[in-house]
Amino acid sequence: MAEITITPRTRAGGMRKLLERYPFLPALVIVVALLLLNGFFSPNSLSYRSLTGLLSTYMALVLLAIAQTYVIYAGDIDLSAGAILSLVNVAIVVLMERWGGGAGAVLLALALGLLLGLACGLLNGIVVAALRLQAIVATFATSIFFTGFALYILPVAGTPAPALFWRTYGGRLLGVPFVFYILAGLVVLLLVLSRTRLVTQLLAVGDDQQAAFQSGLPVVPIRIKGYLLSGLFSALAAFCITGDTASGDPLVGGKMTLYSVAAVVLGGSALSGGWGTVVGSLLGALTIGLINSVVFFMGTPSEWQNFVQGLAILVVLMAGVLAGRRARA
Amino acid sequence: MKKLIAVALSTVASIVISASAVNAEAFKIGLSNGWVGSEWRTQMIDEAKAAAEKWKEKGVDVEVSVQSANVDVPGQIAHIRNFIAEGVNAIIVNPNSPTAFDPIFAQAKEAGILVIATDAEVSSPDALYVGIDQTAWGAAGAKWLAETLGGKGKVVAINGVAGHPANEMRVAGYKQVFKDYPDIQIVNEVNANWDQAQGQQAMQNILATYPDVNGVVVQDGMAAGAWKSIMDAGKTGQIAATGEIRKDFIDLWVKDKLNSGATVNPPGVMASALNVAVLMLQGKKLKEPAKAGQYGNALYLPIPFIDSKNVGDAAKQLEGKPGYYSYTSALSIEDAEALFK
Repeated sequence: MAEITITPRTRAGGMRKLLERYPFLPALVIVVALLLLNGFFSPNSLSYRSLTGLLSTYMALVLLAIAQTYVIYAGDIDLSAGAILSLVNVAIVVLMERWGGGAGAVLLALALGLLLGLACGLLNGIVVAALRLQAIVATFATSIFFTGFALYILPVAGTPAPALFWRTYGGRLLGVPFVFYILAGLVVLLLVLSRTRLVTQLLAVGDDQQAAFQSGLPVVPIRIKGYLLSGLFSALAAFCITGDTASGDPLVGGKMTLYSVAAVVLGGSALSGGWGTVVGSLLGALTIGLINSVVFFMGTPSEWQNFVQGLAILVVLMAGVLAGRRARA
Repeated sequence: MKKLIAVALSTVASIVISASAVNAEAFKIGLSNGWVGSEWRTQMIDEAKAAAEKWKEKGVDVEVSVQSANVDVPGQIAHIRNFIAEGVNAIIVNPNSPTAFDPIFAQAKEAGILVIATDAEVSSPDALYVGIDQTAWGAAGAKWLAETLGGKGKVVAINGVAGHPANEMRVAGYKQVFKDYPDIQIVNEVNANWDQAQGQQAMQNILATYPDVNGVVVQDGMAAGAWKSIMDAGKTGQIAATGEIRKDFIDLWVKDKLNSGATVNPPGVMASALNVAVLMLQGKKLKEPAKAGQYGNALYLPIPFIDSKNVGDAAKQLEGKPGYYSYTSALSIEDAEALFK
């Protein structure tokens, strides 16, 4: 907190400092602006109940975007994140049902779900970092593999999740909606992670892989660890989607992958690696959710909704890029 | 004095408003569509909007509010949340997942909202399904093919997206029918993801591998592609294959006298669902409660069938429409009323 004593010389300079220290600020401003817009067009959408709903629905995308962020830090990408989500979703739902749906069964299934996510991440890491296949194509291929596995476990969407599980996710604890505890836990987890050496190393690899290698960093294990984190957070995202949908669906995550990449970029991270924040990705995921709602609440005719939605994402992206460029210039 | 006038005016205004609300029934219905990949979906929404307009003649004001965009499952859950926040009377949804909406539909019901799914069945006990039975859809095409082939021959199947509920039900439907025809042999089944190009390629491969194939069960969205391969191979006269309901295919069917039969999955299903929804909002009760289907919440609509006998009529209905327009049918308000007490 020593920076507080330094008084910025000019306004622009102060702004730049602020952006350097909190690169997710543009994303935060955009989220607040979108919330206000939503409230303007439909006051009801800012009610406590609606905001809780927004959070519980988009928590899965938030986590998936964070999963994506860690590999993007290192200049990689994970196009299988959505497929891992689907796979863990059907696996835990089927296991919970087979074991009776009690508290013990739920916890054991969740533990196995985390392991499954890690295993998927490990496979991606080996294929991309150790075997040196291009990340974008290799993870596209593993996504097909994971989807195939998910379809093997549960051929058609169906099996219900135990009531204990989804009522907890959608319910309240001591009067506070459960998703807020998840959000709080997530923030703590991210804070802890941001202080680990791994995150710095991932960013170093993403910034300049050759330089990182020459300075003695074990590049291959670092990139594999990035994919492990990605698998882990994809599994956590699967828990949230299972909580929000109370069922297994082998195709549920397919469309979410590219949204997770979009959320990372909206949050101000560079796809080329070496620059970004997980908080930005969290805000980016919420931005996508809020854009979808505001397009509707504005009263956009249905034939134009896709168009306006895409346009809005582009505009937000542009605003973020302009602000970020000024910060780094 | 000013205050008194203001109070008097607002009282009059509120009386006028409540009086007009009593005179004309008004309902707000939210339509949610989670996939915008085909003209069929656009036509579905347009027909539903037109059906809402028709209620004006009956003195019922039906306002529709549409959310239609390519979204993932959370995105469509957000659609439903938006409708709840907006305070609609009913929600009609073409769902992206059969099971994922159980908790959110429960919340909608708690808020006093009627939820109807169409085109794809949902497992939620808090919703109703109004649409066609996809199993019966698959069975109808297979039955036509089996009869056309005289109960014997080699058949291949070109299916849609593996794991998609509608696809699985259609597959179950044709398998059930072919069980009754022991001399019909299914030599291969492939997935072509409801994509014309993939359907065309799959058919090419099939023709190369099984030159003696007699019949093809191919779902709509791929049938025109499959037929193109059959025609390119010069086997139009030797092979019977199921068809589809888009105008450009039906025109081709008439012109080249294809040996085809098409089960109709009409885009009018959402309009039918809307008419049922309005009647339910008026407090009417179904003669037979909707208890069909695997989830016990379905009201199945009749499935039209086009074969070479009535394809001329279908072509007439589509005259002047663009090539992507689908043959359609929907419950009119009167048809829907007949289902109620």
